[in-house]
Amino acid sequence: MIEPAERMAIRLTVNGREIAREVTARRSLADFLRDDLMLTGTHVGCEHGVCGACTVLVDGRSARSCLLFAVQLDGATVTTIEGLTPPTGLSPLQQAFCDRHAMQCGFCTPGMIVVSTELLEKNPAPTAGEIREALAGQFCMCTGYVNIVKAVEQAAATARGARGEAS
Amino acid sequence: MSGPWVGAPLPVKEDVRLVAGRGRFIDDLGLPGMLHAAVLRSPHAHARIRSIDARPALAYPGVTAVITGADAARLSGPIRPLIPTTAAVPDYCLAVDVVRYVGEPVAAVAAMDRATAEDALELIRVEYEALPAVVDPYEAMRPGAPLLYPELGTNVVWHDTLSYGDVDAAMARADGVLRERFVIQRYASTPLETFGAMAAYDPGTDGFEFWTNDQRPGLTISILAASLGVPQSRLRLSCPDIGGAFGNKRRPAYLLICALLSRGAGRPVKWIEDRVENLTALMHACNGVMDVELAYRDDGTLLALGVRDVADEGKNLLTPTQHNLIKLGNIANGYRIPAIRYEAWSVLTNKCPSGANRGIGKPFMCFAVERSMAILARRLGLDPAELRLRNYVTAAEMPYTTPPGAQYDSGDYPATLHTALERFDYAGWRAEQSRARQEGRLLGIGIATSVEPAGTNLASYELVTGRRSVSGSAEAAMVRMEPDGNVRVAIGDPASGQGYETVIAQIVADELGLVPEAVSVARGFDSSVSPWLYLSGNYSNKFSVTDVGAIVGAARLVADKLRRLAGHRLEIAPADLDLRDGAVVVRGAPDRRVAFAELCRTAYADVLGLPPGEAPGLEAHHAYQNPLAAPVDADRRVRSQLVFSNAAHCCLVEVHPRTGVVTVLKYVVVHDCGRELNPLIVEGMVHGSTVHGIGAALLEEFRYDEQGQLLTATFLDYLKPTATDVPEIEVDRLEHPSPFTALGAKGVGEGGAIPGPAAVANAVEDALSAFGVTVRELPITPERVWRWIVRDQKS
Repeated sequence: MIEPAERMAIRLTVNGREIAREVTARRSLADFLRDDLMLTGTHVGCEHGVCGACTVLVDGRSARSCLLFAVQLDGATVTTIEGLTPPTGLSPLQQAFCDRHAMQCGFCTPGMIVVSTELLEKNPAPTAGEIREALAGQFCMCTGYVNIVKAVEQAAATARGARGEAS
Repeated sequence: MSGPWVGAPLPVKEDVRLVAGRGRFIDDLGLPGMLHAAVLRSPHAHARIRSIDARPALAYPGVTAVITGADAARLSGPIRPLIPTTAAVPDYCLAVDVVRYVGEPVAAVAAMDRATAEDALELIRVEYEALPAVVDPYEAMRPGAPLLYPELGTNVVWHDTLSYGDVDAAMARADGVLRERFVIQRYASTPLETFGAMAAYDPGTDGFEFWTNDQRPGLTISILAASLGVPQSRLRLSCPDIGGAFGNKRRPAYLLICALLSRGAGRPVKWIEDRVENLTALMHACNGVMDVELAYRDDGTLLALGVRDVADEGKNLLTPTQHNLIKLGNIANGYRIPAIRYEAWSVLTNKCPSGANRGIGKPFMCFAVERSMAILARRLGLDPAELRLRNYVTAAEMPYTTPPGAQYDSGDYPATLHTALERFDYAGWRAEQSRARQEGRLLGIGIATSVEPAGTNLASYELVTGRRSVSGSAEAAMVRMEPDGNVRVAIGDPASGQGYETVIAQIVADELGLVPEAVSVARGFDSSVSPWLYLSGNYSNKFSVTDVGAIVGAARLVADKLRRLAGHRLEIAPADLDLRDGAVVVRGAPDRRVAFAELCRTAYADVLGLPPGEAPGLEAHHAYQNPLAAPVDADRRVRSQLVFSNAAHCCLVEVHPRTGVVTVLKYVVVHDCGRELNPLIVEGMVHGSTVHGIGAALLEEFRYDEQGQLLTATFLDYLKPTATDVPEIEVDRLEHPSPFTALGAKGVGEGGAIPGPAAVANAVEDALSAFGVTVRELPITPERVWRWIVRDQKS
């Protein structure tokens, strides 16, 4: 039996960097990212796995960082919004979110970018309906989702254009 | 690109940091030595606290400070209400002796981390003596009902009748009177970022510093200083980026809890609300019941409106009557109704305190009127659009004053509806609806139109309190051209997603002849840097109608000074000079110019070059009050809000006849918020507020059981609209500038939340017309629809 406050050693890769840390067994991945690694771009909106604000990529798949314990990530590869942002400028997906004003308060936006990234990797030409389906686990209280869907469509079209495919 | 910048859909500056996760929100902040607070809350809706033993918590390793209600009453004063009704009983940041709703703060712990603080909460022993709870507002009004405050002798905070014109005579001579009862549930905007605060006591100065996502810092500072017994001059409050607010983000109790813990522990203390706390105890829109009497002639002409409105405040001592009184702004909606009577009850119950929420009360008012119009149209055999067109205040009548005193400043309401009907293809969908019915599909079309008031004139509360305490609508701004010629702006209103840094830069760039990139707008708020008033803040849709006046005023003071400095240099009258492309230019002789950089050098460095009597610097403050605000008049009429946008919503829904599930298939909004300062931002707000209205119509409800336990305290039970629950919101606009605001702009932030619930309800009722259903309550859940259908089939 592991005590909640017991400290455990973990090694994982976060945004391409190898990290070795001791954490308490009960520390959530979200708190680990935000408070131990100072990666505050991952936001916490409900802490019960519904709102999607805290979504990050774990081994390339979207996951709720509020529902994972950091100790479960031993050996894993985690990508946060900081890892999806180029060192200078913005990614095409991020640029599309700006072009379409696909946010207002911006609290949900990192999670939206994470999930949209995953979608576009799996499906480079999603329909509006497929985008809505993919985003259905992400709450946005400000935008009514309209411009978010348009931004993902624009990013997909831009990527196809860059690859020389017909859009 | 060159100006004018106002009116251009410029990309939003803030988006660049937010899209990269580089916003700075309250939970992203920290201080050396900071402790984390957790709050122990009442499990009872109503109980006496027999005893609290917090010693085991204080002894727990990692815990530094614990406070209880008794400590709060000893160490701080009561929280001053914004609206000082007769219910001005002392209310502290923690419950003292009695708890009055589930989730009411009872004690608080500060510890090395949040988990430790939460562990320690479990060690606090509280002995409660349960008291009978009153949950239903009608129960609460009955003689003999359990009282939240026995010293008041009643749960009714306010009951009054406001009459404008002879309603009884109009009812007597009417061809008919429609009488309906409507019920609205408790719901809230639930910003994705929860509430939070950080406080640091400085024993060296006996002062406090606060950081919080509170959206109304001016008022909050006043409350904190009074409760803590500290002069406001020794108190500093800052707001970082705010992750949505919608009225919900204001609860000074938590800032006081952090302050008391910080003073006790000698270290900074941060508290971040969790989502269950947010849903249980932050702020709900009032639930309520409204009885409507609408007198009409057979041709559809409206003659009089009588409303009896019961607002269930929960345990709201800070802003009671707010949900009632604000309805005077849109009680007539867009219609010419010659006589209006409004009877109101503001009632305390053992539920979460109510408070501001996107549109405050106006969504329910609009729901009642627009539902009544739909029912009346059916009764008279008129198309619902036609009935509205027969009653609208027309553009030729503007400015038009409603019987309670609301002044509609500009707009063309019939044109708004006509445009919406065209955009929606109303005729086409009516035909499609008939075809679908043949196939057994239940399609419904809903129309709801609305006025959207902006800028609350707080003088209206004199109607409740009998005396004027706070009044008007005002904001302050500072514009400073820095020594390098770039411009910095700050206002007393912290944004929570409205793109102020962008739109203010557009406004100031136009006033000073600059590009928006040269204008930096301070993020958030800092009471020691930002100009502010008691009335400052992010509320009541006031940016366009009030804040803009302050910004323009301050920018023009700087512009005037630039002209004076350049005029002195060029020996030309300032009136003959223009500001353009970063320079002061002689009108008609554009090669005669002085660059701002030159003038800045004079203003800040080479000050002997200033004109005689001119002070150094290029900085101006301007505080503005919207001139429309006036006191309550002798007939109890008041402009409770100042400027009015308008909108028409048309939606198409399909009701599944076996499951009762409602799907919104199409949604068109045509709105008119006067001059749009940045159409990209405006459109986003229309989308979001409309989806908020759809959520209220179909999904969201804080549901309590008879003991006052909240049954929907997580996002698994309290349902929010997701991307698959709503269609694309199609938006079109008209633009009738307000003659009464600095740039002709009007409010837009609340927009869709006001007519949205009515539009969806009207569509559902239309879809269910074969079943004789009248939609009188929200939300329209599948269960409710299914029961309506089954009940009809049984009867």
